[in-house]
Formats: sequence, structure tokens, C-alpha cells
Amino acid sequence: MNHEEILSVVQEKFLSSELVTAFLCDAKVLRPDCVKKDRLLAIVEYGDEKAVFCLFTSCYPPKSFTDLSIEIVLPIDNSFKCEIDNKPSDPEAILYLNLQSRNSKFKFEIQMTPRVDNFVDDLFRGIEAVNKLTTQPEFVWLKKYDGQREDDFIAQSMVLPRSGMAHTQVSAPVAIRESLIKRKMSDKEFDYTFTKRFTIFCGTWNVNDKSPVIPLKGWLCVDKEPPDIYAIGFQELDLSKETFLFDQTFREDEWYNAVRTHVDPRSKYVKVEIVRLVGMMLIVLIKEKHMSHVRNVVCDTVGTGIMGKMGNKGGVSIRFDLHNTSICFVNSHLAAHVEEYERRNQDFRDICSRTRFVQPNQLPKAIKDHDQVYWLGDLNYRITELDPSSVKRMVNENNFGPVLEWDQLKQQHKISNVFAGYTEGPITFKPTYKYDPGTDNWDSSEKNRAPAWCDRIFWRGDNITQLAYRSHPALNISDHKPVSALFTSSIRIIDEEKYRKVYEEVIKQLDKMENELIPQVKVDITEIDFGTVRYLELQVRTITIKNTGKLPVEFEFIKKLDESSFCKDWLIVEPYKKCICADESCEIQLKVLINKTSACKMNAGTDKLYDILVLHLYGGKDIFITVNGTYQRSCFGCSIEVLVNLNIPIREVPVGKLVELESKRDQYISNQSTYSIPKEIWFLVDHIYLHGLKEPNLFEQPGLHSEVLQIRDWLDSGSIDPIPGSIHSVAEALLLLLESTADPIIPYNLHPVCLRASANYLQCKQIVMELPEFRKNVFLYLCEFLQEALQHNAENGLDAKTLSTLFGAIFLRDNPNVVQEPQSRINKQIIDKKKAQFVHHFLINDHSDLIFTK
Amino acid sequence: MAKKTYDLLFKLLLIGDSGVGKTCILFRFSDNHFTTTFISTIGIDFKIKTVELRGKKIKLQIWDTAGQERFHTITTSYYRGAMGIMLVYDITNEKTFDDIVKWLRNIDEHANEDVEKMILGNKCDMEEKRVVSKERGEALAKSNINIERAFSELAEAILDKTAGREADADAARIAVERRPSRAPPARACCS
Ligand SMILES: Nc1nc2c(ncn2[C@@H]2O[C@H](COP(=O)(O)OP(=O)(O)OP(=O)(O)O)[C@@H](O)[C@H]2O)c(=O)[nH]1
Ligand SMILES: [Mg+2]
Repeated sequence: MNHEEILSVVQEKFLSSELVTAFLCDAKVLRPDCVKKDRLLAIVEYGDEKAVFCLFTSCYPPKSFTDLSIEIVLPIDNSFKCEIDNKPSDPEAILYLNLQSRNSKFKFEIQMTPRVDNFVDDLFRGIEAVNKLTTQPEFVWLKKYDGQREDDFIAQSMVLPRSGMAHTQVSAPVAIRESLIKRKMSDKEFDYTFTKRFTIFCGTWNVNDKSPVIPLKGWLCVDKEPPDIYAIGFQELDLSKETFLFDQTFREDEWYNAVRTHVDPRSKYVKVEIVRLVGMMLIVLIKEKHMSHVRNVVCDTVGTGIMGKMGNKGGVSIRFDLHNTSICFVNSHLAAHVEEYERRNQDFRDICSRTRFVQPNQLPKAIKDHDQVYWLGDLNYRITELDPSSVKRMVNENNFGPVLEWDQLKQQHKISNVFAGYTEGPITFKPTYKYDPGTDNWDSSEKNRAPAWCDRIFWRGDNITQLAYRSHPALNISDHKPVSALFTSSIRIIDEEKYRKVYEEVIKQLDKMENELIPQVKVDITEIDFGTVRYLELQVRTITIKNTGKLPVEFEFIKKLDESSFCKDWLIVEPYKKCICADESCEIQLKVLINKTSACKMNAGTDKLYDILVLHLYGGKDIFITVNGTYQRSCFGCSIEVLVNLNIPIREVPVGKLVELESKRDQYISNQSTYSIPKEIWFLVDHIYLHGLKEPNLFEQPGLHSEVLQIRDWLDSGSIDPIPGSIHSVAEALLLLLESTADPIIPYNLHPVCLRASANYLQCKQIVMELPEFRKNVFLYLCEFLQEALQHNAENGLDAKTLSTLFGAIFLRDNPNVVQEPQSRINKQIIDKKKAQFVHHFLINDHSDLIFTK
Repeated sequence: MAKKTYDLLFKLLLIGDSGVGKTCILFRFSDNHFTTTFISTIGIDFKIKTVELRGKKIKLQIWDTAGQERFHTITTSYYRGAMGIMLVYDITNEKTFDDIVKWLRNIDEHANEDVEKMILGNKCDMEEKRVVSKERGEALAKSNINIERAFSELAEAILDKTAGREADADAARIAVERRPSRAPPARACCS
């Protein structure tokens, strides 16, 4: 996966309005307990607010957003601080990023890659931006990520990110649910398990490069009952150079077979696992009848020898689950040399920190992550403070106490420098090192060192009892004697029946939790009736959405299938998208306005004052909001053809009749029609002609909205009173009436011809002559009137240029239903100019010949 | 014990006339509770529930739709993506049963071709008001009778399909009936 692919996965973790601007994959968060944990860092932007997110990823690279869970959220506000340290000495170029926000402080370890620059740049840009702000951002959007109880936190990330099943695929973050279930089940472990005691035999022997030429019975088969488990560790199996360099030895099979041959014959054993690193080998056997309850067997090896890496020293380990208890065996050979106990302590720590049991789809486990740990081996600690002869004297008298006081391991263990948390049983056997091979005699070489208890067994965990801890001197081929310990340990066994019950209960709880976290809102009204709606009269209704769930919810009015917009063009919804915090409400205004583009559709019956809006909650349900009203039809929005045929006021025309008239508008011909031009146009024009030709700023000064509405009612009701309102309101009503007709005066299909002919009066005249009957009438009638008005330009201030621009845009108005090519401004100016030019001819030339041709 | 939380996610849809009890069925199934007050659903809503079938954990995401006529054109747009559809009618209301044909037609037009369908007669506690003769698939949201079974069988049918196996006519599975795709339900006559 490349950077972009991972980015898109990370982005999916967030809402679409929350933009991931930068991220880093290989960050490690350093916890106070010094454990480094692999994390992903992301900077997320919402509006002009930014925050740093630290995400846990259950697999790397994350394949889906479900693999990610948000662990830490640090808003970048003015309390945010970022410091960067680096270790110049570090060859791997590690950076330390110290981030602090509000009261939290975190340290991250980052691998120096080119991506880091981007990330840090973005971080500092965020800091700069926030410091420039006068008011502090509120970070409302972060509330949903805020650490509440951990359960909630995990559950939150479990919430479906986006649903609306018709729109996208839904899948819940499985990994998070998985880990939550695991935790809940382990919390309830005692409800579905019981314990049983198992005996565990641990043996360790440094065989000093010898082959198994003697029977091992005296070591492995000395107890009353056969143990359930054997864990046998060897050191110095093979000291040859080949083994050291190529890690191959025939001794592995020799010793393994010897162990298999000499374990207690009263039981049948099978191999759990065998692991070897150079001369260190660990074998775990279990009674055959238990094997079916052994799962997740994993081993690991750690070399701490030459250069801190080689396998001549170190540890080999095997872990597995037996029933419901996790067990780990470690066999180690720690640093040699009498004085080097610090090295040995260090080896122990290295083995602890470097041993990693890796299983598919799981976080790696360390030694300490086990219920029971048994650690055996040649730990190599010595006795240096006593002279060798007095040590030999005391141990020969079985007087171990005073000598053990000086045992380096006992001393280091006591002050917790090594094996902290582990226990060792009392030592009641002679030191196991160093003997002349083949004898029970202390080493007779010149070094003359004190004998020591190099070979030891420790354990860690509850309910483990040591039954025996001893050496086996009769096995004398090596310079070490073998050691063994027998334990009886409690193993948790699952009661399948009870387990099922508890499991089902947990699943039910989680389902419940998940259901409760689905966004919930209450909408006070889902059916909005606007009552009677009139042309150009804005009506507003308010609905309230209350967040009744536990988390912030983001809502958005979404498009229905096959529709280009979420609501009809006569409706405005504000806001149509917002985030509401828990327990808070949001008011939404719905505004209806029937204007020049929607009125004709209402009249023609192609649209109704009815719509269903889909209010979608991200990650939750959809609510349908029904909007309706009764539109009071008006002459505004009628076609010219219908108006010339209406001999009664439009209010008196039944709704169905009007729709019928509109549907047949192309069929009207002059000799059957009532008027040659619409009476409404005539009323308005005539009024201006009689009372307003000398009105200054005619057609330029806007009218009053309220008066325009009065004029609308006057026209629609066929009133016999004088026209209400000022000349300017009447002029505006006239323009509106012309703009709201279903088609412009010059039909859309002729526009290109008009534009092409605009420079040529004769051609223009030709086009006008061929206009549909009533359009031509209206066009010529209005031009005639405008010429009249221009006669009075001394008073009304009109000029032909202004008028032709104004009326050009009306006579040749663009089709609102055709998506316009994004015209350049220049292009649009040219077109507008041509429209004006077209009309201009008819304002300056005498065209009475056209009127009288009929 | 590392068992997977669930292996599969099935999206199911409840459709049928208003008032037949779709929302009650969903609440009974997910929360195991019931109310008699009728609040008609205005939109679509969902709940999840994890069930175990043939050793597999299956997460059901069940979508409840508005049954009211005026929402039909909108609700059909949610059919796409559903793997199983439960058509619900009310045994005490003949029209709701007759309308099943209409709902089936909607499914044919708008749902995925291979969607599993199941017809469920609800309110079988009101025997005295029965107007639809007893069908094989009946349930009762009021007291959790057959509800779980209905969902399990629908899920099982989907499972069969995902496993690529032919859904065999298993005698144990006829308590709730699934009908073949295009054929409208054959109605036993009632007097
Ligand atoms: N007696 C009886 N009444 C039921 C049963 N199931 C549902 N009801 C009642 O039927 C009414 C309608 O139930 P709802 O579940 O809300 O109906 P719906 O199908 O969701 O209706 P819409 O949301 O409008 O599509 C409620 O008053 C319930 O109490 C049942 O099994 N027995
Ligand atoms: Mg409902």
C-alpha cells in the first residue's frame, strides 16, 4: 500500500468534513511505563480547527478504517505545544515529538523519513493559524472523540460511520468489537471457568558439548506421579564453530530423542514445541490427553552473546495457552565470567524486552504477558566474596546458608535488579558447577574458583506451588549437574456451557450498546403545511431537531435517488447540514418562495407545492419531512397564449382548467382568442402611458415590494378599482410579469438566430415578423410603447441604450432549465450586448409597417 | 478464547403497509420489548443484532421502513443493498395481505435480483379478528412468537446463498415461508 492508499483509509475513519491533512505511520507513543507502542499520528482539519489524533492500528498497514481506533485526541489550540528533540548520535535517526495540549502531554518516537517534514510543517502551520485567531476555537466536532469512559470510547468508534443503506456499504469496525469482547470475556473469566491442578516438571542442564551417552531417567523420572508437562532446557549443546556460525547441529536430535526416551514411561507424551538457538534448546512435552487443549503455540529466540546479538548466549522461549491459562517457558544462558553479574542482569532484561511472540491478527506478546512463566537455565551467577576453599568446605558439610548469602543471584534478586516479580524456591542442593566431568569432584583446574549455583529455576504467576527443587549429581558427564523443579499449578478450564451463556450475554450487551449509540434525534414537526402561498411572497417555517442520543450527530438533507437536489427549487432549507451536540437542539428554517422560475411550473401543473425531504443522520436513520401548501395561482407565470384567452380574472379560473389551458397553449390562434395581447400587460402599460411617461428614472428606480404584491392581487382578482401603487411599482410589476411567463417573448429556439442577426435591422425585422402571433404582438406593442417613452426622455431620463439592454435581457431571457455552459464573462457580455442590439433597432426605427401588415 | 465477534454482516429490510407491526417486530427482536401505542414510522431506521447460525456469528442490520403510502417512492430507493426483505402483513387486515403483491412488485423493480424474501403474517394473537386464512408464516411481535425464528430463517437462507448452496426445502424450515421470487403468494381462500 502506498502513502495515498493508507491516507484514504485513515480519512475514512473521519467524517467527510474532517480532513486528514497529514499523517505518520511509524510513530511510537512512549508511555510512563516505558512501553513503546506502535501508533499512527494524523492531523485532522475541520473548518479552521485542527487536531492531532493518535490512532491504534490493529494491523499494519491498516486495510480498512475498522482497523483503526482513536486513542488520543489533542486539539491544536493556544495551549498546544510541540517540541522536537533528536538524538544526533542515533544512527537510525529517531526524533522525539513532545506534544502537549490542555492538560495532556505525550511523547512520540518517530522514525526520520521525508514524510516527517510534511507532518511537522502541517503541525506548525496549525499552531501558527490558531495563534492568529482572536477567539479561541471551540472544537465542538471533537466532542464525539473525547475520552469518556473507555468503554464508551471504544464503543464510539464502533458506531457505523455512514449508512443510508442505499448509499454506501456499511461495515462496523470488527477489530474494535473484537477487542472489547475479549476484554469483557476476560473480566468475566471466573463466571465460566474452574481450575484444575497440573504438575509441571522443569529441568535445566548445561551439557558442556557432550552427547547423551548416559540414561536421563535419574533426572527426568524421579517423581511419584508422571508430570503433566515437561519443560527441559539445555545449554552448551554444541560448542563447535559450525553450530555457532550456521546454527546446525546433530546434537538437537540426539538430546531430543534422549529426552523422549527417558521421560516417565507411565504416561504418553507428545511434543508441544522445540526451539533451539545455537547451544540453547528448550523442549516442551505434554501428556497426550491434554494436547487438544493446547493452542497458540509460539516460540522465540533472543541472542545476547557476541555484539549483543549472537546466539552463544541469550534465551529461547515457548508460549502456549493450556485451556484458558497462558504459559511461557524460558530457557536462558546468561553471560559468563565471574564478575560479570551486571552483564547477566542486562541479558535478563534484554531477553525480557526482546522476546516477542508473534501471532497472526494479534498484538505480539511479551514474556510478562502470561499467566504463568517458568524461567530456567544456566544463569551463570557466582560466588565471589568468599574464598573457594571455605565455600567448598561449607557445601561439603551441606551448610548452604552462609554461602547462599553471597550468591550473586540471590543478592541481585533481593534488590530487584533481576527477576523482579519472580520467585525461586529454597536451595537445598550442592552447587551444580564446576565439576571434573565424569566425577562428583570439584573442578581441579588451576583457576580454582568457588563452586556456584549456576543452574536455576524461577517462576512467576498465581497459584503455583513448588513441590521439589533439586540437582541430579549422578548425571555426571558434564561440568554442570542437571537441576529440576516440580510444580503444581492451577490451570483455568472453560466450562463450555457457561462460556456460551456468558458470551451470549456479552454479545447482547454489545449489541445493546451499539444500538444505543446509533444517533438519535427528535424532530418536532415532520409535516409542514405552508397554507396558502402566493407569488413572490416568502413564507418561513421553523422545525427543531433535538439530539436525544449520547453522541454528537451530524445531519444533512440528502438527495433522493435520481434527483439533482435535495429539495425543490422553490424551497430553501437553512442550515441543510450541521453537527448537533448531545442534548442540544438546532433550528432549521424552511422558506418557500414561488418566483419567476417556479410560478410557471405551478400554473402548468408540472410542479406542486409538495416535497418530501430526507433528513439523514450520519451513521443513523433517515427522517422524512413532508412539505406542502396551496399555491394561489397568478397571472405571473402564465404563458402569453393563455393570458390572451382569459376573459375572467385568473382567481376565478378553476385550477384544472388553467392546467388544461397551459397544456394547449401552442394551439391558440388569433381569431379564436379574446385579446391580441394579454390584458394584464395592457393594463400596466396603459397605466404608465397615461400617468408615468414623464416619471423621472422610469424603469430604473425599483418599486416597493408590498405595492408589487398589491398590483399582483389587483390583476389576479380583476379589480375595478384604480391600479394601486406608484408608477415605479407598476413598471416593476410589468417587468416581472414579462420575466415570469413560461417562455420568453422570443422563444428560446430563435435566440441563436437573433444573436447572429443582431447587427442587421432587416434580418431582425424578418425574425420578428415570423414570431408566433401573440409574441409578435406583445413585442411590437412594447417597443411602440418604449419609443413613446423615449420621446419624453427630457423628463424621464431614459435613453435607448439603457432600455434596450433592460428589455433585451427580458425578451431574450436565458432558459433557466438548461444548464448553461460556463460562459466566460467576456462571452456573456458579448451576448448581452447582442441582445440589446437586437432590441435597439426596434426602439430607434419606425416599424409601424410591421404593425399594419396584418 | 479467541472467537470472532462475527463473520458476516447481513442487511435486512422490513416492508409492508403502515400499521402491520414492522416497528414492533424490530423492537421485539432487538430489545425484546413491545408497546401498544402506534407511532407510525416517518423515515427509515435500523437496529443491529448478532445471531449465531451454524457456528457463524452473523450481524444483522435490520432496517425498518415507513409503510405509509406517500413514502413509497422514497422507501423503494433503500431496497438496493438489502440481502433479505421481510414482507409483513396483518392477519386481521385483508388489505395489508392483498398489498403484498404490490410490495413484491416493488422488490422486483428496486431490490437486488438475488434478494431473499420472506412473507410474515403478524398479530396472530388476534385470532378472533382473523380475516386472512392461516398461512404457514405467522408471528407475533406482541409476545416474541416466531420472531427470532423468522429472522434466523431469513438469515439462514442468505447464508445458504452466500455459501453457494441451493436452499433445499428443509422440512424443519417451513414454519415461516419463503416464496420464490416472482410468483405472488397463492392465497388460500377464506370465508
Ligand atoms: N395485537 C397485536 N398488536 C400488534 C402486534 N404487533 C404490532 N401491533 C400493534 O400494531 C400497531 C402498529 O404497529 P407498528 O409496528 O408501529 O406498525 P408499522 O408497520 O411499523 O407501521 P408504519 O411505521 O406506519 O409503517 C401498534 O399499535 C402495535 O401495538 C401483534 O403482534 N399483536
Ligand atoms: Mg413503523
